Amino acid sequence: MSPSVRVPPFVLVMVLLQTAVFPQLRVFNVAADVLLLVAIGAGVVGGPERGAVLGFVGGLLADSVLTTTPFGLSALVYCLVGWCAGSFQTRILHATWWIPVLTAAAATAMGTLLFAGLGAVLGQEQFLSWRLLPICGVTALWSAALCPAVTRLCRWALMPDPTRALVMR
Amino acid sequence: VALSRRNGRSRATLAFLVLTSVTVITLDARDDGAGVVDRVRDTATDAFAPVRDAAGAVLSPVGNVFSGITNYDDLEDEVARLRSELAERRVAPAQARDAEAQLDELLAQAELAWVRDYSQVPARVVSAPVSNFEQTIELDKGRRDGIAVDMPVIASGGLVGRVVDVSGKRSVVRLITDPRSAIGVRIGAAAETGIAEGEGPGRSLSVGFVEVNAEVKRGDLAITSGLEGGSDLYPADVPVGRVVRARKIEGALQQRVELEPLADVGHLRFVKVIRMPQ
Repeated sequence: MSPSVRVPPFVLVMVLLQTAVFPQLRVFNVAADVLLLVAIGAGVVGGPERGAVLGFVGGLLADSVLTTTPFGLSALVYCLVGWCAGSFQTRILHATWWIPVLTAAAATAMGTLLFAGLGAVLGQEQFLSWRLLPICGVTALWSAALCPAVTRLCRWALMPDPTRALVMR
Repeated sequence: VALSRRNGRSRATLAFLVLTSVTVITLDARDDGAGVVDRVRDTATDAFAPVRDAAGAVLSPVGNVFSGITNYDDLEDEVARLRSELAERRVAPAQARDAEAQLDELLAQAELAWVRDYSQVPARVVSAPVSNFEQTIELDKGRRDGIAVDMPVIASGGLVGRVVDVSGKRSVVRLITDPRSAIGVRIGAAAETGIAEGEGPGRSLSVGFVEVNAEVKRGDLAITSGLEGGSDLYPADVPVGRVVRARKIEGALQQRVELEPLADVGHLRFVKVIRMPQ
């Protein structure tokens, strides 16, 4: 089974997690942004191009179930973040387990800030409120916690040999 | 050479995706609510609805545990407040009965007005907001049940918000705590007018445009004025909240008034949509 067959169901399952499961599991009224984490994980595992593509597709699907935010904003932000995470990861050594975790947390915080900033430019000024900092902090922690599992799933979906991918660190 | 070529292709892909995203954003901005983007959103909302319902039913106990752990301090404060209220009622039962009777009378008057003038659609809250930047809830009723955009939504106690998006089977309600929400209100026996705006989840509503000499005190009831507040228009006499703080600042032309919503918008299970004529 090639990655082109594994990626669509993988993305669909992640969309369902994002829209149906994680909104129920809130910490300080903040839910995890799984599709942003998928973009970051795809960038870390497969490089900037795959990060950007998966980010765009995931973001577009997220936009289709969000009703009061500009359509296309998540796609734009997620593809930029996926690309940046991939570019950053290819420039550094994968020597320790915590580098992807830290990358995921930092990229999530930056992505959330970018989402709020671009949203404000597009007329959603309320995004830039006192809640922005707690949202950035909690989503970053969520991403750090979920990063090992999501990165492994991204590796399974994107790599040619999924059996090897699942046992890789 | 291969690395450079790969980098070039990667940048070209990124540029293409960014341009596509910007195009989609522009299409959405130009769309006035009846175009392709809205149809895509409606279809996706209805398609994901059964799965979201099932996940909500299964995971709501887990979500409640999460909420209980992370909001433990708030719960303790709530328990302390309720104990204090209970003690006050024990000390002054007659006062409490009188206050309750007044509140019941006001609510009953509002309810009578609704029953006489408009029909209501009961609905179940099926989802919290998907995004961390939305202050919305999703209802299990939609266009097929006669719900339309801009209809007000109430729950036991008072105003909850306004419908901002409708698909065939679902509708999305913007809560009164959303910073984009603006409600024209009348406060207290003197019926002082103002505009109540949301300040985010768990926060009181901030009321602007209340005259500095207006007689507003803690505990006063605020109801909708029926006047346009910002972009939102609600029918008159719907209870909104109680004044928790009213401060007169020296030199200012307005008072600073804060309202605690009567409806517990953070823990809603069932609501009623008022089918106002459009």
